[in-house]
Amino acid sequence: MQKVQIRGRLRHLGMVIGASSLVLGTLTISVAANTVSATAATKFKACVVTDTGGVNDKSFNASAWQGAKDAKKINKNISISYLSSTSSTDYVPNINKFIQQRCGLIVTVGFLMDEATSTASNAHLSQKFAIVDDAPSTKSKNVLSLQYETDQGAFLGGYLAAASTKTGAVGTFGGMQFPSVTLYMNGFVAGVRYYNKTQGAAVKALGWNPASGKCSLGKCDGTGTFVGNFSDQTAGKTITAGDFAAGADIVFPVAGSVGLGSVAAAQQAGAGHSVMWVDTNGCVSDAQYCSSFIGSVTKGVEPSVRDAILSAAKGKFHGGTYVGTLKNQGTGVTYGGITVPASVKAKLNAVAAGIKNGSISVNPNDYPAS
Amino acid sequence: MPRAFTQFANAWVRLTSKSPIVVTFFAIVLGLLIGALIIITTTPAVLVSWRGLFHSWGGLGHALKVTFDNVGSAYRDMFSGSVVNPPEFWHALTTGKNWNQALTPISETLTYATPLIIASIGVGLAFQTGIFNIGANGQAILGGIAGASVATLIHLPMILHLPLTMLAGIAGGMIAGSIPGLLKAFTGAHEVIVTLMLNYVVALFLIFSLLSTALQRPNQSNDISRNFDPSAQLAPLFGTASGLRVSWGIFIALAVVVFAWWFLDRSSLGFDFRVTGANPNAARASGINAKAVIVMVFLLSGGLAGLAGVVQASSTTHLIDGGFLIGNAGIGFTAITVALLGRNRPMGILWASLLFAALGVGGRAMQASTGIPLDLATVIQSAIVLFVATPVLVKEIFRLHTAQTGAVQLATKGWSS
Repeated sequence: MQKVQIRGRLRHLGMVIGASSLVLGTLTISVAANTVSATAATKFKACVVTDTGGVNDKSFNASAWQGAKDAKKINKNISISYLSSTSSTDYVPNINKFIQQRCGLIVTVGFLMDEATSTASNAHLSQKFAIVDDAPSTKSKNVLSLQYETDQGAFLGGYLAAASTKTGAVGTFGGMQFPSVTLYMNGFVAGVRYYNKTQGAAVKALGWNPASGKCSLGKCDGTGTFVGNFSDQTAGKTITAGDFAAGADIVFPVAGSVGLGSVAAAQQAGAGHSVMWVDTNGCVSDAQYCSSFIGSVTKGVEPSVRDAILSAAKGKFHGGTYVGTLKNQGTGVTYGGITVPASVKAKLNAVAAGIKNGSISVNPNDYPAS
Repeated sequence: MPRAFTQFANAWVRLTSKSPIVVTFFAIVLGLLIGALIIITTTPAVLVSWRGLFHSWGGLGHALKVTFDNVGSAYRDMFSGSVVNPPEFWHALTTGKNWNQALTPISETLTYATPLIIASIGVGLAFQTGIFNIGANGQAILGGIAGASVATLIHLPMILHLPLTMLAGIAGGMIAGSIPGLLKAFTGAHEVIVTLMLNYVVALFLIFSLLSTALQRPNQSNDISRNFDPSAQLAPLFGTASGLRVSWGIFIALAVVVFAWWFLDRSSLGFDFRVTGANPNAARASGINAKAVIVMVFLLSGGLAGLAGVVQASSTTHLIDGGFLIGNAGIGFTAITVALLGRNRPMGILWASLLFAALGVGGRAMQASTGIPLDLATVIQSAIVLFVATPVLVKEIFRLHTAQTGAVQLATKGWSS
């Protein structure tokens, strides 16, 4: 009786073994073949550790990853891979993972990763790092810090906004009061003031009062309007609607996705109200809202990451600081879905040339406040 | 020969019995199978190779090879990234060099498992008493906040500072746990609702406290605490220079496992807990103070969750920030599934935590070298839990029969309690 039962069970033996072996078998067999991948590492490997946004955040992390992909397109010997951090606890293990995989260059994204990058760079002096948008706390020679003088691009944005406003006022606000945010706002206000001075206009700039002195990538003080985070779109909508009520018709949100709240406010307020997008070309990253954008002030994360990888692949890596400017496309302004007259575009080109050759200052304190 | 065959068949019968361990094993196999299926259907190279079959059947061998190569390399990376990389291990064994590199995968797995074990034991203890503690994550966060306060604001020698930091974490978790405990005991408020909602309260309190002058790092405007004093950090087991992150916290986790086993199986209070979980009416009739038990369970469960939070901060990041245990990093939520997978038994939870940590760590290695997203590990984890929660399904798929020994049943009654 017992034996009959046993034989009945045995019928299913093959099926169970088959199912298990598909998984466990491939596992054990292929573990043995692991040595192959370790030896075939003649290529240059570029590795990106993204922040919690991941490679599809349509912003910073996406740009850094795009920069890596661009580098691969140019130099076929470069292989790329990325790890996204699910939280700040992942920074260290992700960086370690790539150190272990002998990446030629590890690109970390954002100033929140400063500490993890600094620690790792001090512990592994032969490992090359590049960190996007951060002035690193370490002075290790194996870290290249990619920084962007976004006030130059924002200056053009402010000029464009001042030249385009019908109501005589424009506004700006930030996510949180970091130098990387306020630098944009500072440049924007400077652009508006420069427009007033040179064109004899009196366009008001709401939302940012620069402190005296000069702004730099590390420090940019003043008082202004801030959401307190980079995610609350409702707050962005409220602030923008407030700016519209105060007489502005163009708003420049420097707050990541909070800016989508500004877009909603502009759409609600109707024709004549528009938004200046930040960091990326809004008509590419958020194409569906292109008709609401007067333009975008960009941060050239892609070209800088691409160039950092390409030069590291050539063995020409230099630690220190890369500064993105108008000249090297590290920042700039692009036009949006709203038509800008050719005369304004011509003036903007002249201003850009002036900033590039240093004849036009981007410090708002050099111009009278309106 | 026939005798050997009978012995083998008997072993096979034991193997295919419906005991929880066997069901769990087959659930893991099924989870990995589903993972393989997803790799096959989402990897372009594999799909392209199968598309070749529309033109000629000659491509079958090639398609199979590409499929096995891709699935194989994904699982190989997962294994060698989380347990051991055989060539590296062999190299270390034969030459005595690069031991650190050979031990890194298992060290990472243990690092991730450490807080998970503690939090899951906390959740499992509550489950055993018939109580759903969905608030372990909030309790862990509050434990982290309390621990960070002691670790950054008070300066003491390590012999006092470290224990005090851990105790602060436990106290923080107990405070968060006492709220739903008292509410359930004295007003009958359902613990699922209260604990779930408290998670949001605590998450916002985290931001609030990190932006307060007391905890916020000086000269910084974002939500990040100071670094823990070195005297309040759980040091790496093999020293900082080794690069291995596994810390002394693993011994805290093991101590918690032993404590939980002793508590449930050997202590009289633990007996009261289990009786209450198995049959609240019988417990009340036999003179067990139900209200006291409910409050005690929440204190214990919350305290362990709080300990998990502070161990996490003290052993890995040495600080807490606005993303501390938020979102995907929420070990308190993972702990619920781990406790379920471990059938609320201390040893089961220990193994389940190691499995989940290995899948997470291995998933990272897989993403780094094959580009298959880390999320696949989450899918596999979820699939395993799904199959464990539906033993009937596993039983039918593998035609398992009823074991001679009684199967362990979940004590939790859920909404009916």
